[in-house]
Amino acid sequence: MKTKKGYRMRPLGKEYILVAEGLEVENANQMISMNATAAFLWEAVEGKDFDAETLAQLLVDEYGIDIETAKKDVTPLLQTWEKAGIIN
Amino acid sequence: MKRTYKVAGHKFAVVMPDHNLAWNEMSSCEPFVCEDADECLFTAELLDAMPDTSGKQKVTVGCEGPDMPRVELFEWNGEWLMELAPTLEAPVRAYLITDKAFSKGRFRLLGSMRFSLSTVLMLMFAFATARKNTLLMHASVTMKDGKGYVFLGKSGTGKSTHSQLWINNIGGCSLLNDDNPVIRVMDDGEVRVFGSPWSGKTPCYHNVDVPVGAIVNLHQAKKNAIRRLSLVEAYAAMYVSFSGYRFIKDMADGLHATNEKIVSTVPCYGLDCLPNAEAAWLCYKTVSQ
Repeated sequence: MKTKKGYRMRPLGKEYILVAEGLEVENANQMISMNATAAFLWEAVEGKDFDAETLAQLLVDEYGIDIETAKKDVTPLLQTWEKAGIIN
Repeated sequence: MKRTYKVAGHKFAVVMPDHNLAWNEMSSCEPFVCEDADECLFTAELLDAMPDTSGKQKVTVGCEGPDMPRVELFEWNGEWLMELAPTLEAPVRAYLITDKAFSKGRFRLLGSMRFSLSTVLMLMFAFATARKNTLLMHASVTMKDGKGYVFLGKSGTGKSTHSQLWINNIGGCSLLNDDNPVIRVMDDGEVRVFGSPWSGKTPCYHNVDVPVGAIVNLHQAKKNAIRRLSLVEAYAAMYVSFSGYRFIKDMADGLHATNEKIVSTVPCYGLDCLPNAEAAWLCYKTVSQ
């Protein structure tokens, strides 16, 4: 899968928001709030091909957690991204 | 003839022939006349003929509802060309050509001049100031005890009604602007709200500014309730209440930086409300603390 084009990550206090800034995004006011971990993963895979495995490995490398825990963390995140329509 | 105006501390000049009838439609700008014409942020000049724009490339079209103004944006000759109409379906009433820095606009008016001239200047102002800690808002603002209370909400939510409820029920309130106030983060970090020559259907063009007391996002509801918004909620409520071309990166960066500073500085609330006096009192007592 791939991240869709036209989004930009904006820091906001201790959180992040992903905002639709490109003309290619249909819903011009779309906005998704993310915590630091989700924002880190988004930026790491932005514009590249990736899957759940890629994200889990990124978590292992960045936070030193084991791969099984990482996979469990990634599943709901990917569901959120899919539901928000920001990946395809 | 050239006249200079100052809105929210930003100067701009309008250039039109001396006896042009369009000057008669500038009454809402009168309170903002400025004698000092130095360092204008932008100039807007009336064209006596429209250039041939047949090579224009459509970029995007913006319209927030069937009865809201339509702005079609084109790229033409290395510049932006905007075609403006008062509603979604209406024919074009004004053309605005501007350099990409929004410092030099030229415009052509067709038909009713009031709508088109006012809109041309409003767009130039919004885009030219977007990188300067300034947001041209869609909001109604009521003043009380030297502070401005900014009411946000979708069209038809009752922003103007809520302002009127404050004015009619709470002593010492007055309307600053009913549709397009300007919020600016000053150099010392203070967040102030300014009147403007644009106020929708309510003629309310006050050259006055006050610190922002609070920002309140309104929702129609069956009963009145108020709560403090989180940073993200406040950012999102503001985000849909000002416009700008976010695909233009430095404009998006400017709008984001200003919005972030505002919602980090000013208390922001969400108000579920009926159109009644109780809503105004609940809101006032909470946000004026």
